[in-house]
Amino acid sequence: MLEIRGLRVSYGNDTVLNGLDLDLADGEALAIIGESGAGKTTLGMSIMRLADAGIQGSIRFNGEDIFTLSDEQMREIRWNRISMLFQNVNNVLNPVHRVLDQVAEPIVEHKLRSKGGALDRAGELLTRFGLPTERFSAYPHQLSGGEQQRVLLAMALANDPDLLIMDEPLSSLDVTTRQELGELLRNIDGHRAKLVITHDLDTASRLSEKLAVLYGGRIVETGSTREVLINPRHPYTRALIRAYPNMTTVKDMQGIKGRMTRPVSGCPFHPRCTQAMEKCSSEVPRLNQNHGRWVACHRGGIVTLLSVVNLSKQFNLLKAVDSVSLHIEAGETLALVGQSGSGKTTLAKILMGLYTPSKGGIYLEGKKVEKREKDFYRRVQMIFQNPGESLSHRLSILELVMEPLEVQGIGTKEERREKAIQTIGEVELPQTKTFLNTYPHHLSGGELQRVAIARALVLDPDLLIADEPTAFLDAGIGAKILKLMLNLQECRGLSMLYITHDVAAARKMSDRIAVMLDGLIIEEGPSSEIVASPRQSYTKRLLASASSLHYLDKTSVK
Amino acid sequence: MLVTGKRNLLTYTIAFVFILALNFLLPRMMPGDPLTAIYGDEALVAMTPALKARLVARFALDQPLWRQFGAYIAALFRGDLGWSYSFNAPVLKVILGALPWTLLVVGTSLILSTILGIVLGIESGWRRGSKIDRAMLAGLMSLNGFPDFFLGLVLLVVFGVLLGIAPLSGALTPYSSLSGQALILDVLKHMALPVAALTIAHLAGGYLLTRNTMITVLKAPFMLTAKAKGLSQNVIKYRHAGRNSMLPVLTMTGISLGRVVAGALFVELVFAYPGVGQLTYQALLSRDYPVIQGVFLMMAVSVLVANFAVDLLYPKLDPRVSHAH
Repeated sequence: MLEIRGLRVSYGNDTVLNGLDLDLADGEALAIIGESGAGKTTLGMSIMRLADAGIQGSIRFNGEDIFTLSDEQMREIRWNRISMLFQNVNNVLNPVHRVLDQVAEPIVEHKLRSKGGALDRAGELLTRFGLPTERFSAYPHQLSGGEQQRVLLAMALANDPDLLIMDEPLSSLDVTTRQELGELLRNIDGHRAKLVITHDLDTASRLSEKLAVLYGGRIVETGSTREVLINPRHPYTRALIRAYPNMTTVKDMQGIKGRMTRPVSGCPFHPRCTQAMEKCSSEVPRLNQNHGRWVACHRGGIVTLLSVVNLSKQFNLLKAVDSVSLHIEAGETLALVGQSGSGKTTLAKILMGLYTPSKGGIYLEGKKVEKREKDFYRRVQMIFQNPGESLSHRLSILELVMEPLEVQGIGTKEERREKAIQTIGEVELPQTKTFLNTYPHHLSGGELQRVAIARALVLDPDLLIADEPTAFLDAGIGAKILKLMLNLQECRGLSMLYITHDVAAARKMSDRIAVMLDGLIIEEGPSSEIVASPRQSYTKRLLASASSLHYLDKTSVK
Repeated sequence: MLVTGKRNLLTYTIAFVFILALNFLLPRMMPGDPLTAIYGDEALVAMTPALKARLVARFALDQPLWRQFGAYIAALFRGDLGWSYSFNAPVLKVILGALPWTLLVVGTSLILSTILGIVLGIESGWRRGSKIDRAMLAGLMSLNGFPDFFLGLVLLVVFGVLLGIAPLSGALTPYSSLSGQALILDVLKHMALPVAALTIAHLAGGYLLTRNTMITVLKAPFMLTAKAKGLSQNVIKYRHAGRNSMLPVLTMTGISLGRVVAGALFVELVFAYPGVGQLTYQALLSRDYPVIQGVFLMMAVSVLVANFAVDLLYPKLDPRVSHAH
């Protein structure tokens, strides 16, 4: 019923929507999500033809381009066919008219009913949306935010429109009203098409079946709401979900690198994207279908960085790693969880080329890794459990961090030195001369682990394999190291294979968890699902024995 | 709201008592004989000892001040505002003779200028920045520069003298003893020019206020709501924008309402219109203190009553006001 093609809306030189395509079918509920300033409200206003801006492109409503209609024809469409549940800002209702009259007004003015009939219908609608009868003749300022929202909703449905646009329908409400109105909104008659405009993922998941993610004036990803929220394919969508506090995901919140800027050439997200290529800054990506999802990305959405297919390693009779298949995406943390002796470290060592696999293959960005050369180590680095053992005691801190650059033969001596000092700063260590010239045995465990991380990061790797990086550290220092790793992921898009026996830490650190037992991956999935509904009894045992502050409560329930 | 109403009433009562006291005290505080102050020098020419004794008794001038005040209040409640020697009639009667004419002319022009100002303001603000808007703005601003008596003189010269279609002076054709429809027509003819002069002179205030408010109101979110509802332009313009834009003008008009009884001194003089303004002028010339005091009292009371009425009515016009307290 609604078909938007190449919509460009600009206020002066500021282009808010930039070539937006969107389809909405009869009865469909579509949510548009995006940050403030992404152009969501402008989109709603454009569909009503109320945006006071320069507009190009077409918006077809039931086949008719609304920009070719006369003002009188457009007036007939407004509220009768397309209506809007306005964002509940101050004065969105006229302060000097009673709310009942304001709800009835469009019915009377469009001559659908007599004055009396219109007031009756307005009353019915207000009752249906839970406004008490004695509040009908109140003025807007006498109502609470929740009550005003009920009035706005009744008003939006007054003329029984075919398309209802809802602009932040639940945003200004407290949690209980939100719950109640959310239910009401979800159940308003099914035949109506609904377009929900919101920055709030919860609102989108409550009210829509389909989701479109708006960034920089374009749709960057669209698909079924459930699918997109569980398994986002565009880097921006994933970043948005990571930044959103909710009861579903368990990983620590992460911000989005940089901030939204306009205008941007090429892909609007590329300045903030951690997997951007040269092409991204020059060419605008089109929405393409990829595994049942539409994503606008030159790299086809989030890239799979490393995959392991059917990998096995046998030591005499012991199958240390048994037909393991895994993948790690760019900018993602995969936690490999299991007890000691389950084969986690062996797997890491195979990945690093310290052991040769008996069977199976390893693929880096789809290319099979045959012989590991310098190039491989430039992209994949590892940090170990005990930094005291993994760092040479004969080199100063600066020399330790410079060493990988020397091995790789990168830059001049001066450049290497600069890069090393910069990286030492990044891992939050002092950059003073005294510190740079000290030797490892003068440092604490936390500082040593930071030096180990700096050594790994100085090559700007894509993947960091961290084997129990906090095992030898106090909780306070360990937490700082983990936070540091998450921050690096946010800024650099670093992928991590986080190897640990500690599910409690894994759930805060990782997007996905793979549980390993006796060389096998017995269970794998999004961290939230593994933690909330483990399928394997071993996983359940692992979770039950994980660190808890109410251990007695937990055991007494059983 | 009820509490505020009561508090308001108390404020107005205090103001009223203060005005009465001032009206009472001023002549008595003037140097010399209070009778001279009350009646003026000319009245004393006709003063006989018998009359003087009667007046002293009437104003209780031989009694202490608080008794004098009591006598003054009692006289007021009898409707006795004193005696005008220059008109040789009770002051109340003199004032009541002039009041209807003033109410007719000044009242009509106030209503007209308010309505016209609001309508022009709404139309002008709606088209802000357009040629029509700029023309109206410039035109009304320049009209605003002319005093009302000057406009009166121009109208008088053009319509009264040159075109000869309007009477030159007065409120009625003298000695014509008209009645019924002819009388009404005659009254209308006489009031047309003074009403026009006053309306035009006072148009700009309401117009500018409405236009400015209108421009602010047009940016309000509820204007977008109104447009989205597919309402016709006139409904959007008047019911949604206009209704909100006229609020400050109505306050302004309400406050000037009290001053209507004072008449329009200059315009009444220009058209020799027998209203309160004209009366005040004559009383001033002949130092007819009782009349001046009477007019002063009546004006003060009217202003009070008008303000009180505006206070009561405003919450009905703007429902947010009662909430704001």
